[in-house]
Amino acid sequence: MLWYEAGALLLGCVVSGMALGFPVAFTFMITNVIGIFIFSGGWPVLPQIADNATALITSFTLSPIPMFILMGSLFFHTGLAIKVFDALDKLLGKIPGRLCFLTVIGGSLFSTLTGSTMANTAMLGSLMVPEMTRRGYSKKMSMGPILGTGGLAMIIPPSSLGVLLASIAQVDVGRLLIAGLLPGFLLAGLYAAMISFQLWRNPDSAPTYDVEPTSWGEKFYQIAVNILPMGLVVFMVIGFIVFGWATPSESASFGVVGVIILAMARRMLNWESFSTSLMGTIRVAGMVFFILMNSTVFSQLLSMSGASRGLVGWATGFDVPPILILTCMFLVLIMLGMFMDPVSMMLITVPIFYPLAATLGYDLIWFSLIVLMSLEMSATTPPFGLLLFIMMGMVRGTTLFEVAAAALPFLFCDLVLIIILIIAPGVALYLPGLMGT
Amino acid sequence: MFESFDNVLGKVSTALAWFACALIPCMFIMIVTDVSIRTLGYRPPLFTSSVVEYALLYLAMCSAPWLVRERGHVVIEALVTVLPPGIRAALAKLVYLVCALVSFLFAYLCWGIFWAYVQGGELDVRGVDMPYWLQFLPLPLCFALIGLEFCIYLSGRRSYYSYDLGEVKDGV
Repeated sequence: MLWYEAGALLLGCVVSGMALGFPVAFTFMITNVIGIFIFSGGWPVLPQIADNATALITSFTLSPIPMFILMGSLFFHTGLAIKVFDALDKLLGKIPGRLCFLTVIGGSLFSTLTGSTMANTAMLGSLMVPEMTRRGYSKKMSMGPILGTGGLAMIIPPSSLGVLLASIAQVDVGRLLIAGLLPGFLLAGLYAAMISFQLWRNPDSAPTYDVEPTSWGEKFYQIAVNILPMGLVVFMVIGFIVFGWATPSESASFGVVGVIILAMARRMLNWESFSTSLMGTIRVAGMVFFILMNSTVFSQLLSMSGASRGLVGWATGFDVPPILILTCMFLVLIMLGMFMDPVSMMLITVPIFYPLAATLGYDLIWFSLIVLMSLEMSATTPPFGLLLFIMMGMVRGTTLFEVAAAALPFLFCDLVLIIILIIAPGVALYLPGLMGT
Repeated sequence: MFESFDNVLGKVSTALAWFACALIPCMFIMIVTDVSIRTLGYRPPLFTSSVVEYALLYLAMCSAPWLVRERGHVVIEALVTVLPPGIRAALAKLVYLVCALVSFLFAYLCWGIFWAYVQGGELDVRGVDMPYWLQFLPLPLCFALIGLEFCIYLSGRRSYYSYDLGEVKDGV
C-alpha cells in the first residue's frame, strides 16, 4: 500500500470514528485493530497491541500530569485560590476595568500554581463572572479576559499538556516547561494591553466603581499572608527544576506537597476537599492516560505503514521556505482544534509534525511551544473549543457566537506572540539555554 | 436481576476508581521521600521509579470502567448532534456494541499475555526487576468491566451522549 493510502486509511479511521461519536480512546483501539490486520500479521500479532500499549504509559516522565492536575484541584477545592484573589482585589486601586486586570494578574499567578487550563478557566469564571455582571461589565469584557487568561496555564509552567506533549514528542520536559515562562508572561502583558485598548475604545463596557480604600498596612498583610506563601509552591516546582534539585517529574510531587502544607497551615484542608480533588484528578488524568495507552500503537502503525516517513518526504520535497510549512502545520492545528480536544490533536499530529520540524531544522523545544500556543488558540475556536463550553456553562443565556466573539481579540494576542516567537526565538529559548546540558 | 447486576458493576467500578485515587498520594509521598533521601546524601530506594511507573498504568486502567459509567471518556458530539434522532439513536447503539466488543477482545488478549507471563516468569528490568505479569494484572479485569459497562449502555438503561441528557458535554 502506498504511503498516502496508508495515511489516509489510518487518519481517516480515527477522524471518522471520532466524528461518528466513538469515545476518542476507543476510536484509537478500533483503528489499531484494523491497522494490525492490514499492515501487520493480523490475528497472531494482535496481542502486540496490548503489549505495546502499556509501554509508554509506564513512563516516569508522565508522573507530573496527575500531580499538576491535583495541585489545581486542591487550590480550587480548599479555597486557597479565593484567598489569593481576595488579596489581589485589595491591592488593585480604583482603576478602569479593574476586574479585567484582576483576571489577568490572578490568572497568570494561578497558572504558575496549577497545570490545568480547565481548572484555571473554571476558577476564573466562577470567581469573576458574577462580580463582573454585578458591576455592569459587558459580556465581551467579562468573558474575553477569562478565556484568554484561562489558556495561559497551557504555556506557563507547570503545564500538564506541556508534559504530555514532551512525553509524546520525546523532547526534554524540563526545558519545555521553563521555555514557556517568558512567553507566558509576555502573553499576559499583551492581554493587559488588549484590555486597555478595548477600554479606550469603549469605556462603558467596564464601568468604574467606588472601591473601599485599603490601608498600606492591610496591603502588606495581604501580600505577606495570601500571596507570598504561594511563592513556596512556585519555588518547589520551578525552583527545584532550575536549581537541579529535582527532575521535572519529581518537582511536581513537591508542588502537591507545597499546596497541602499551605492548605494545612491555613486550616483549609479537610477530607472532603482532599477526596474531591483526588476524584477530579482521576477524572482527567485517567481519561488522558487511557487515550495515551491506545494512541501509542496508532503512532507506531503510522510509522510502520510508511505514512509518517512518506508525508515528511513529500512535504520537504517542495521548494518552499520552511516558514510556509510551519504556517501550514499551524493552520492544520487550528482547523483540527475546531472539532477536537487538544490531547487527540497532539496524538494525531505529533508523529507527523515532529519528524517534519526536525527535518526542517527547527529547535524542537521552540517548535513545541508553537504547538502549545496553537493548542491554546484552538481551545477557544468554535465549534469545539473546550474553554468556550466552560464559559457557556458559567454565563447563563450566552450563545457560542457571543463567547467566541469575546475571545477573538485575545486570539489576536496569541497570534502576535507566535509571530514574536518566530521573529525572536530567543524569547522561548533564552531560559532553557541557561539550564546547561 | 439486571438492576442488581448494574448496581454490583457500579460498586466494583467505583471501588476500582477509589483504588486509582489512593495511588496518587502513594506516588507523591514515594517521590518526595526518594528525593529527600537523595538530597540528604543517602541512597534512595531503587524501587520508587518502577512502582510509580506501574502505578500510572494501574491509575489509567482502574479508573477506566468508572469513567465509562460516568461518561468521562471524551467524545466529540459536535457532528453527531446534527443527525436526525432516529439515525443518532441507531448510531449510538452501534458505538456501544463496537466499544463493548473491542473491550472484550482486549480483555481476552490481555488475559492471554498475562497468563503467558505468569507461566514464563519473565522479568521487566527497571529500577528493580518486576514480574512482567504484574503489568498485565489489571488489564483483563478492567477491559472486561469496560465491556460490561458498554453493555449496560447498549441495553438502553443509560445514554453516553449529552444530547440525550439535555446538557453540553463536548470537551476534555
